[in-house]
Amino acid sequence: MQAQAVGEQAQAVEDRILRTWTPLLLRTILSAAVAVLIVGLIYTAIKEPAFYVNRYHEVRAGTAKHSPENVIQLVERSSQGDAHSILTLGLFILTLVPLGRVAFTLLLFIHERDVIYIVATAYVLTGLILGVFLGRIG
Amino acid sequence: MLTIVAALFALAIGAGFIGALSGLGGGVFIVPSLVLFAHVPMQVAVGASLISVVATSAGASVAFVRDGWTNLRVAMILECATVTGALTGAYLAGIVSSHVLELLFALMMLQSAYFSLRSEDETITAKSDPLCERLQLGGTVLDESGQNVNYGVVHLPAGAALMVFAGVLSGLLGVGAGAVKVTAMDYFMKLPLKVSSATSNFMIGVTAGAGALVFLSRGDVAATVAAPVALGITAGALTGSRLLPHLPARALRRLFVVLLLLIAIEMGWRALSGF
Repeated sequence: MQAQAVGEQAQAVEDRILRTWTPLLLRTILSAAVAVLIVGLIYTAIKEPAFYVNRYHEVRAGTAKHSPENVIQLVERSSQGDAHSILTLGLFILTLVPLGRVAFTLLLFIHERDVIYIVATAYVLTGLILGVFLGRIG
Repeated sequence: MLTIVAALFALAIGAGFIGALSGLGGGVFIVPSLVLFAHVPMQVAVGASLISVVATSAGASVAFVRDGWTNLRVAMILECATVTGALTGAYLAGIVSSHVLELLFALMMLQSAYFSLRSEDETITAKSDPLCERLQLGGTVLDESGQNVNYGVVHLPAGAALMVFAGVLSGLLGVGAGAVKVTAMDYFMKLPLKVSSATSNFMIGVTAGAGALVFLSRGDVAATVAAPVALGITAGALTGSRLLPHLPARALRRLFVVLLLLIAIEMGWRALSGF
């Protein structure tokens, strides 16, 4: 009887994390990213259309100079009205979707005290974070 | 500017729409569309596609998790392999020449075409092998009569090896590599097909996310291309998945295989002429 109650409680927590919080988090991040990208494109069209066109042709010709993006600098430049930074910030927010999903799955396994899956999920989360640093040295 | 944005957006809507209808994902179609029609370098197309794959997989996987089709434990164990592969692939994409990437992409498209045409007969196993049993990878699934049926999982090492390859493909070519992931789970690990598809969808966003973070932090994602493409693919995929139940899926799939083969030939020819 007690074991059944514990099982039902664990199922309720899993339902809350997987089927309520995770979809809510993913939809919120996705909506925020889409909103920033739309605002970025409209702002670029109004303020810096020539910059966009020149940049696009540089990208096509392979002559565009790319520089590694720092999130803090991106936020600062976006708040100063830099159109390119707003667009890049929107793309960065999109990449938070998988990070958020894995972080919530980690919470679930921590709650279940499932060591093997805590280690596996922590490895995946570390891998995602490592991607940022790998890009900087690559 | 509006003409460029509209053209990129239209290409992306088409790719997202066809990707959703064919079940292969938008990445397989947007990369060649950007290279062949918008004439952007392969690396730029791959970066934009990876970001788009992250966006499109979010919506679909939420529905599969909610409906209980995703095997979370299988996903997390195999994501260790796909993320390792994706980081390797994304790192290599910064080194490998465009022509090699184009040739690899053409070969990957041929594999996707084969995947689309294969038969969907499935053989599920009732009992897991000792390793999968220890990792509690088995689960239950509803059969056609609505009864819960237990399924086991086998051959984890073989599945994981194929997942590393799927991750490398994703990071290197900007695709979700769903065809390889589903093959690994369905054919090698004997998971039911619907569970394989749902679990693959859950994994695609995380795999592509690893690659996308490498590309973004390296400064290899051209926001001017990636922003309209991400928005367009998301809109196209949403429309495609809503229309899918009302369209003749099997006939459409054959049509897309022909399209896939034509694009593969064009990409392969382009790559070989560049060497």
